[in-house]
Amino acid sequence: MTEKSAGVEKKPRVRIDRRRFVQTVVSLGIVGTFVSFLSLLMSLLPSAGAGEEQGEVDNVFKYGPEKGTWYSDKYGTDVKLEDFDQVGKGASVLWRRRIPAILIRVDESKLRGATATSGLIALASACTHLCCISTWHLDRPNQDVLFCRCHDGVFDPYNIVKDVMLNGTEYLGAKVIAGPPPRAAPIIPIEITDGKVAGVVGDLGLYDYCG
Amino acid sequence: MSSRMKRIYEWFDRRFNISPLIAEAQRSVNFALPSSLTRQNRSKIFWFGYPFYYAGSIVAFLAILQGITGLLLAFHYVPSAVGDPGTPTQAYVSVQNIMKFIPLGALIRGIHQWGANLLVAALVIHAFWAFFRSPYRIGREISWLFGVISLGLALAYSFSGYLLPWDQLGYWAATISVQIMRSIPVLGDLIAQILLGGTSLSALTLTRMYFYHVSLLPVIAIILVGAHIVLVVLQGVSEPEEAWKPPLSQSQTGKQAGPLFGPFIPHQIAPVLILSLVTLGIVLLLGAYAVQMPGDPANKFLTPQFIAPEWYFLWAYGLLKWVGWAYEAVHFVPPATVFGVDLLSAKVVGILMAAVMFLVLLLMPVIDRGTEVRVLRRPIKTAVGVWGIGLLSALTLYALNEILSASLSVPIDTMNFFLGSIVIMAPLAVAVPFYVILSRHAKETSAQEG
Repeated sequence: MTEKSAGVEKKPRVRIDRRRFVQTVVSLGIVGTFVSFLSLLMSLLPSAGAGEEQGEVDNVFKYGPEKGTWYSDKYGTDVKLEDFDQVGKGASVLWRRRIPAILIRVDESKLRGATATSGLIALASACTHLCCISTWHLDRPNQDVLFCRCHDGVFDPYNIVKDVMLNGTEYLGAKVIAGPPPRAAPIIPIEITDGKVAGVVGDLGLYDYCG
Repeated sequence: MSSRMKRIYEWFDRRFNISPLIAEAQRSVNFALPSSLTRQNRSKIFWFGYPFYYAGSIVAFLAILQGITGLLLAFHYVPSAVGDPGTPTQAYVSVQNIMKFIPLGALIRGIHQWGANLLVAALVIHAFWAFFRSPYRIGREISWLFGVISLGLALAYSFSGYLLPWDQLGYWAATISVQIMRSIPVLGDLIAQILLGGTSLSALTLTRMYFYHVSLLPVIAIILVGAHIVLVVLQGVSEPEEAWKPPLSQSQTGKQAGPLFGPFIPHQIAPVLILSLVTLGIVLLLGAYAVQMPGDPANKFLTPQFIAPEWYFLWAYGLLKWVGWAYEAVHFVPPATVFGVDLLSAKVVGILMAAVMFLVLLLMPVIDRGTEVRVLRRPIKTAVGVWGIGLLSALTLYALNEILSASLSVPIDTMNFFLGSIVIMAPLAVAVPFYVILSRHAKETSAQEG
């Protein structure tokens, strides 16, 4: 900053010499370049469509991988209605290759809040708490509940209630009766075709709460 | 120095100009530091404190051991988790190969596995010891800060390493952690996607975990832990003011308890070397005879029956279970969403509590600005620390509720009630007497000192 000849009142002007100017511009350029590199961090986000279903997927439930159960040797095969010949019989199954579920033959007179299809109901078995897979009659053999092994969450398949997903979707599901799960285990509507038990495709996004 | 050594030295000095550096380093390590109070005048009472005092050096030694064994394992491990759920992936098979076919592979993996466990154990002791000793007074904050961050690093290391075999236990421990991460209000999904390549575990996750474990974390750790250790060497182990004065006992009895002041080498390094050897022996024994094979291959459609994280994450696991139990006990049903997130659900409460604990540790130099560092003269801080230890232990116990109830054949509800009450009562039951006794002691001693 300098002032020109004394006596004449002049506004003081900010003067930047050439050296200072070059220094500033070069530093800003270097910093700016590195800041712009931050945009490359975008690449850390997974690409859209990376985890989508591939190939043909049918809607028939397949038996799940639990060992030491009545359906152990049927792992991966189509679920048939005739297998569920008595009330209380249930199995862990897989729907559309990616959605684990529990299929149960229920006592229809006790079921509240929903109706069974040929005596069966299906509930998504990924726990709404932290996504462990709930079991039927394995950890709590004497109680008709879905039980989550990780944090002792308990769902009542006889008490179907309305609930709201974190993304705002309203749905029907098995009520949480104990433990930390924040919301009900969503029901999967069922249809029977040629004696095989299949799920009805509605809002598939509902079952994506486990990512 | 022999003439040959001298010639080699000169060769390097001419090319890299190392003599000023070496002179400076010699000056630093020869600077006389006080040996610990433990050794000065309390050795008869606090002899057992010795390994605790040097726990940090055990951590450093184990970290080097982890580096060496990890390097060897990296020659054989294949980070690929592509495959159907429940079938052995390449990652799983490569770990099995290391265990079965690679010469000394099982021993190397055993050392790596047990080294990790002991490292965390030594680190926990080091952290608590440091917490009570308040070594973050002015001039030492950076060292403390780097130490606390390194604690987080060690947990990230073990978390990523635990997943690498891609077996059931690692998979489900990681799944739970990912879902907990996702429940962080607002940013959860984004953080999970950036760190893990998706909102649930996939083959992408393993690649990223492997990268963190063998590449990213080592770089950060070497910088942070290196600075942490260099600072200790330069500044000396943090000691109360009185350590810098000759102890009373010496002038009274005329008896010398040992060297009071001495340079880092050999006075501080000697016990470090001894403890390192002992540690090496323990790790070798455990690694050779107690190595754990990977469990069943990971299956995302089947949660194993007894699922528990590694012992050092049990407290967090217990915290999640306990908050759920406590809600139930007081008939509190958390509202589904507050501000669009599960703000009051057990998992969010749990994650917030853990975050607060970490922040408090990180900010200790700001929170605690007192000059008094002696444990027995700080009733409140010591009581809080004891309460913290009690709480972590009780939560760890609560995490084992299923196993305890099954093995003691006590009904689960009774067991939950019993353990749940312990979580509330036990830490207080230890901390309150500590506070009462220490505050009386502090009053008495300050009265004596006038």
